[in-house]
Amino acid sequence: MDRTLTSFIAALRNADVRVSTAETLDALSAVELVGYGDRELLKNTLSLMLPKTVDEKDAFEVTFDRFFTFEDVDGSTDAGDAGTGEDGQGDGDGGAEGGEGGAGTGAGNRKSKGRFRAAATEDQEDESLGPGEMVSPRSELGILLMMDSRIELTVRMADAARAVNLEQIQVFTQKGLYTRRIMDEMGLPDLQREINELRFSGALPERRLSQELQKRRERLREQVRDYVERQFLLHADASGRRLREQLLRRVKLSNVEHRNFRLIQEVVLKMAKKLVALYSRRKKVFRRGQLHVPRTLRRNMAYDGNIFDLHWKSVKIDRPKVFAICDVSGSVANYARFMLMFLYSLEEVMPRVRAFAFSSDLAEVTELFERNGIEDAIAKTLRDYGGGSTDYGQAFEDFRHKCLDDVDNRTTIIILGDARNNYGEPRAEILKEMYDRAKRVLWLNPEPRTTWNVGDAEMRRYVAYVHQAEECNSLLHLERIVGNLLRTVQ
Amino acid sequence: MPIVLPKQGASVNLASFSAIQGHRVAETAVNIERVTESVEALKTGFEAHRYICSDQISTAVYLAYHLRKPVLIEGPPGVGKTELAKTAATMLGLPLIRLQCYEGLDEAKAIYEWKYGKQLLYTQVLKETLEEVLQGARGFAESVSRLHEFGDIFFSEEFLEPRPLLKALREEDGCVLLIDEVDKSDHEFESLLLEILSDFQVSIPEIGTVKANREPPMVFLTSNNTREISDALKRRCLHLYIPFPDADLEQRIIHARVPEIPPELRRQLVTFIQELRDLDLKKVPAISETIDWARTLLLLHTETLDPDLVRDTLNVILKFQEDIENVDVEVPVLTNKAVKT
Repeated sequence: MDRTLTSFIAALRNADVRVSTAETLDALSAVELVGYGDRELLKNTLSLMLPKTVDEKDAFEVTFDRFFTFEDVDGSTDAGDAGTGEDGQGDGDGGAEGGEGGAGTGAGNRKSKGRFRAAATEDQEDESLGPGEMVSPRSELGILLMMDSRIELTVRMADAARAVNLEQIQVFTQKGLYTRRIMDEMGLPDLQREINELRFSGALPERRLSQELQKRRERLREQVRDYVERQFLLHADASGRRLREQLLRRVKLSNVEHRNFRLIQEVVLKMAKKLVALYSRRKKVFRRGQLHVPRTLRRNMAYDGNIFDLHWKSVKIDRPKVFAICDVSGSVANYARFMLMFLYSLEEVMPRVRAFAFSSDLAEVTELFERNGIEDAIAKTLRDYGGGSTDYGQAFEDFRHKCLDDVDNRTTIIILGDARNNYGEPRAEILKEMYDRAKRVLWLNPEPRTTWNVGDAEMRRYVAYVHQAEECNSLLHLERIVGNLLRTVQ
Repeated sequence: MPIVLPKQGASVNLASFSAIQGHRVAETAVNIERVTESVEALKTGFEAHRYICSDQISTAVYLAYHLRKPVLIEGPPGVGKTELAKTAATMLGLPLIRLQCYEGLDEAKAIYEWKYGKQLLYTQVLKETLEEVLQGARGFAESVSRLHEFGDIFFSEEFLEPRPLLKALREEDGCVLLIDEVDKSDHEFESLLLEILSDFQVSIPEIGTVKANREPPMVFLTSNNTREISDALKRRCLHLYIPFPDADLEQRIIHARVPEIPPELRRQLVTFIQELRDLDLKKVPAISETIDWARTLLLLHTETLDPDLVRDTLNVILKFQEDIENVDVEVPVLTNKAVKT
């Protein structure tokens, strides 16, 4: 019982539901209380104990249904398989004997030959225990197959799966491999040898057994494949995804294919959530030793003015005020997309982000983000301001004109761009003005450091007037930079 | 000095009172045992108190009672989170102790505080008797050691003002503790709750650890999800999410809460509300709004919904002018849908 629950929890963890050890123990005691008898009750119980957010509850639903139904599904598909198999044999050339149940149902509409064979099968089944027309199998798996006990087989299959570490399956191409390994583990080679020996022995009972074993082997293979498939869905589907997510964090953002946008968005959200959790506490700085006289007097009025409850001066640390200036010209647009996505996902810790986009002229897009969802806003920004050739000089000029006055000593300015100015006027003096006013100016350049000063890039000039210039072309870089940003402000 | 001593008779009264209470307690205990026997029993129990709940909810209360675990209830406002705790309290016949959370709530308001005023008063009063206490004591050291003999009188139970959390722990026969809107409090307060939630105890530096009495309180926490509750807190709780009910459940809820309303109108208004929840609104109507609306319609002697009436009463279910304006256009269509289906 415990094993069922722990493997269910492993599957849950795979589906991105975080379950701690303490919660596992709690769940165990809860299950002890309600038991496994009532499926609905069990589901309700576990969904109270294990998933702790709405998203996790959804994931839980899916995993629970997948995990706890498979015993029933197993039975029904098996019965179905067996049924169709027997029908096929009944209508076919009669080369194979009918199965255990088919003998009864199919007998009516079978030809005499078929009926004879069915009867023969029945005989054989009786006799497979003792001496008779069909010899009893010798190999372990053969015996198991002829015993025809589904429970025994399933148990054996589960054991074999455990022995070959099925839960470590990662990608779907491994399904075939694991199917074969499980079959081998269950004793397929011995069975194979036996079947071959039997087929070439002259006696009828032996050949009959060989055919019967072959048929049952195929059915078993089918079952094992199903089993692997289900285990794959439970254990590997998510870990395969996790693998991809890991890769996406490292990959250059301009190389991300369109079909991966959704996934990368999820990754961005996840990373943002982590940062939010880390920095959502608004810290206070206590100026130790500085008495807050008014407050102390107020608080101690109740005690007849006797001052024994002292209050000290403290300052709540301001959340960062961020201005993001993004180059959205063709070469950098993709980076801008993800940076904006990242910044706006951090709304909870950075409520005051103002975004500007430019290729030649600069415009504020903050409002777009306020009114639309992140995705729409980004799409609109890229549509309206994207493309065209970059002119950093003009963009800085526009920035100075529009909102340099809003920049104060609490503002952090992040500029995202490759500084490729098409040999135009760089206007670095405006950047210097910004540098003087703002708390911090960060320049994120998607190009590798070695090419910063090659060709029409003006990075050399700009670098003088920023506090920090960083190479930034993957989510990992982005996460580190934004994390640093939050850390230095707090 | 007017120090009032308890009179002789008071203790007798107290004894007889506790006897009565003892009887009542036994009755309650039996009642609780019966109600919490199974998930089904709980569900019918809730229904008897006009709280219609899903299996999930009754399972949560069942587990909370048997595993002695707090329940963290999340969900949109107005789906009956607070009501669940209140109903549980009346159903189990336990007192309800409620702690409303807000920004800046601290331990002085949630757990305990010293009665500073009383302490001051007593020191003033005792000033005069100081002479007696220190009688014959020579030198500073001797006086201090003499004072030490009296222990920490001023920081004893007598001077302790219990706040909701401490009160709940000290309740003899258990109680229902409702910590409402825990998301409104600060992070610091959440950490403060951890001890009481996992071990049913609080630590008071001057006195020591106060443990819950025989029956630990049954704790409900509610949250509107205005911010993430910390993992540490979530880990200690059962997590119950109450979503908006489906049409069937909502009809039953209305039936339980406003039994006078005719079934046809009930069906119509629930259908209408359900449709409304699919629209893009700033604040979608919750169950409490549906109930209010049902009462309003009842008051207006309505037989069936019609667009004009809906328009006039829209402000009962929608709380933003913007929403009302948006829905106003759709009213005929929605009403039609609700009446016809």
